[in-house]
Amino acid sequence: MTHDRIRTPQIIIIIFLVILLIMAYILHMDLVVLFNESLIKLVMNGVLALALIPMLNVGAGMNFGLPVGIVGGLVGLCIAVNFRLTGFPGFFASLLFSLIICVVFGWLYGLLLNRVKGREEIAGTFIGFSIIPLMNYFWTLAPFQNRQMLYPIGGQGLRPKIGLDPYFYNVLDNFCMIKISGFEIPLGLLAFYGLLCLFLYLFFRTKVGRAIIATGENEAFSRLSGIDISKIRLIAIILSTVFAGIGICVYSQSYGFIQLYDEPLSMAFPAISAVLIGGSTGRRTWIFEAVLGTYLLQTIYLLTVPIANEILIPELTEILRTFITYSIILYALLYRDRRRIVY
Amino acid sequence: MDSLFFLFTGAAMTNILDIKNLNKSYNGIPALKNVSLSVRAGEIHGIVGANGSGKTTLMNILFGNPVIRETGGYQGEIYYEGVSLKTKNSTEIIGLGIGMVHQEFALIPDMTIGENIKLGREETNRFTDRLFGKKYSFVDRKKNDLNAESALKKLGVNVDIGVKIINLSTNTRQFVEIAREIARADLKLLLLDEPTAVLSRDDASNLLEDLTELSQGGLGILFVSHRLEEIQQICDRATVLREGEVISQYGRGEVSTTKLARDMIGHTVSKAMAKKRAIEPRPLVSFQQYSVEMPGEEIRGMDLDIFEGEILGLAGLSGHGKSALGYGIMGMYPATGEVVYENMKIDRMDAKANILKGMYVLPDDRQALGILPDHSLAENIIFTGDQIKGLFSMNFGLPFLGFLDKRKVYDHVHQLVDDFEIRCTSVKQKIRELSGGNQQKVCIARALTVNPRLLFVAEPTRGIDISAKEKILKMLIDINRSRHTTIVIASSELDELKRVCDRIAVMVEGRIFKVLQPDSSDVEFALALAGEEGTDYDA
Repeated sequence: MTHDRIRTPQIIIIIFLVILLIMAYILHMDLVVLFNESLIKLVMNGVLALALIPMLNVGAGMNFGLPVGIVGGLVGLCIAVNFRLTGFPGFFASLLFSLIICVVFGWLYGLLLNRVKGREEIAGTFIGFSIIPLMNYFWTLAPFQNRQMLYPIGGQGLRPKIGLDPYFYNVLDNFCMIKISGFEIPLGLLAFYGLLCLFLYLFFRTKVGRAIIATGENEAFSRLSGIDISKIRLIAIILSTVFAGIGICVYSQSYGFIQLYDEPLSMAFPAISAVLIGGSTGRRTWIFEAVLGTYLLQTIYLLTVPIANEILIPELTEILRTFITYSIILYALLYRDRRRIVY
Repeated sequence: MDSLFFLFTGAAMTNILDIKNLNKSYNGIPALKNVSLSVRAGEIHGIVGANGSGKTTLMNILFGNPVIRETGGYQGEIYYEGVSLKTKNSTEIIGLGIGMVHQEFALIPDMTIGENIKLGREETNRFTDRLFGKKYSFVDRKKNDLNAESALKKLGVNVDIGVKIINLSTNTRQFVEIAREIARADLKLLLLDEPTAVLSRDDASNLLEDLTELSQGGLGILFVSHRLEEIQQICDRATVLREGEVISQYGRGEVSTTKLARDMIGHTVSKAMAKKRAIEPRPLVSFQQYSVEMPGEEIRGMDLDIFEGEILGLAGLSGHGKSALGYGIMGMYPATGEVVYENMKIDRMDAKANILKGMYVLPDDRQALGILPDHSLAENIIFTGDQIKGLFSMNFGLPFLGFLDKRKVYDHVHQLVDDFEIRCTSVKQKIRELSGGNQQKVCIARALTVNPRLLFVAEPTRGIDISAKEKILKMLIDINRSRHTTIVIASSELDELKRVCDRIAVMVEGRIFKVLQPDSSDVEFALALAGEEGTDYDA
């Protein structure tokens, strides 16, 4: 599990982060508050980054079709809210609903991806693009009953932003929160994240998990060794989709809103940049890389907002954010190891 | 090609390449120590050496491979026609009239043979030359193809020049690659890195003849090869490298395989030899009208009985289907026909099912199919046994868990590493860091872990140096004798098959043409390989 060297992107990002920290200090910002928030941001976005790992490890590349899982998770959240479930029961119910829906979505998504082997990334991107308008129909037509979810006028169709305040807003964030002299450590949230990491870690040590890694590294070898490649890929893709579903549940309870319609479209990109910043090369990726990458990226986002507000025009933050996300993906696409092409 | 000939007639027997006191080390580990050698115009200079002897490093330096500069350059001087090559990059070196043929192919798969050969040096239409300049001129396809064809003809290859590279066999690709170099009018020195490694025997000997002809035309050739007979056959001079040092240099007439072999490994090799014995003709598996659609290696309606406990050799020229047999059984390519294994018909060519029934296949393309390069040696050895038979899994009562039982794994792996003398720093070493011979041993160890009754091995000694080769062959004989594993070896090394096998089946055009005894004469084998009936007819 050793890395022989830190690659250029990590160095650039860390230097950038240090500069931002120094600026934050000079501008008299409350670094403790920023630190507290960075932990929340880590888990809020971290699960979505973890969701990329199974597909990377099976050799299906970056899951640009992450919106498939996210949409599944959103349906789960909506069902939980529809029944007005609150607190932990509400949150866990939404996880359970998401899980069931994402298994189905992941299975269909996997069947599709198995037919476009070698071009999963571009296919995934467009599957992501096409599921959004499909789901837009669903959001407007689905027979949800809870008035607080529906458009106030007319009472038909879900709102683009459904507030979670009365239900399970921050229920995980505030669970077992430890406060020591200004520091607020969201222990429950971190433990939940840790459990998910542990699950993935153990999963890749099981027989199926090892077959996934072997298939990602050399598919022909696996096939000759009697591994059912389609099945193994399907398992990895379903797992990826399920994690995306869980990811959006965690994200929403932290953020406080369920964001529907076109919002899930761009959610795959920060996750992908995070994993790339962590050091993934588009092939086998370690959990540590996903965690580190998410922390670095989210902390930079976190710092740029107040700093840019202070010294630049406020609108620049969003521009910077988008610029960082996309340019990192572009960088990775430029310099990643080319996949072996066999004629 | 007239111009090429014209250029060479004037060339005197002077050194065109001079390497003086070349030293190169990677991170303090010396790869080349004080290597000096020279190549004259019109001579073939052979370089032999076991894996890790520094051949590749030498070639990389001559090719101007950026790896060399990135790892700190080299000491010593290389002069090409009096010009130092030290500061030159690949493109500049090619521009000087040095041609290179690498081990890996550098051809564009979607372009035709003709286009590939003339790439970057196209014949252009004279009118549009003047109109748009040479760079944007129309390509004169006809002239282009004619020119390319003549280069291929020189090599004695007859293929349609309009065929795309992607549709060619590895053999032909190698010839195209060489044709591309010799089609250059300014070529004076040709560097060849294991050009025959991917070729079958026949094609290799054709290539050797071509090279001799080219050198007689005045071309200097630096020829790196594993195969000592080739060096003996065509080289005017030969240099033996061992552990980065020049061990010996032989002049014209002094080159002999025994001397080369001794210098190369530092001691003499004892050859693997299986005792002759009688095998009871009780078929373990029989194929009837068996066909495999492996592109370039099709089997078309083969009938073959493999007897229990024997070592059967599969000989044949490349493209005649000898490597497809095992792949077909493992379902790597669509297969049809009847296969009866232990009196049971096998209806599904499925890798998992057939491994469980006791068959196993070791592929010929070790890098692409035989190993998990980034996994450890231990993981490579246990992979199939664990995944298919669950030999090393702990389930804690839940069948889907299957965590690795590390102690069991390491006990097993250490045992095999000791038995097979696999050279590694630890069993956790990544397998891609091992030499070809040791990788092959790991593959065989993996097969043994599965403990098959019937083992298919394809090209077990390809790309492996001679001392390791014999060890691999001995291992196969041992496995056969001690475990009664029936082994089918598909190989283009007829000499090895004759030493190891109980019977040798010769394949021609996807069918068994003849089954010969290993002590049959070379003439019989040659006739059979060519698909010609000899004097005695098989019933």
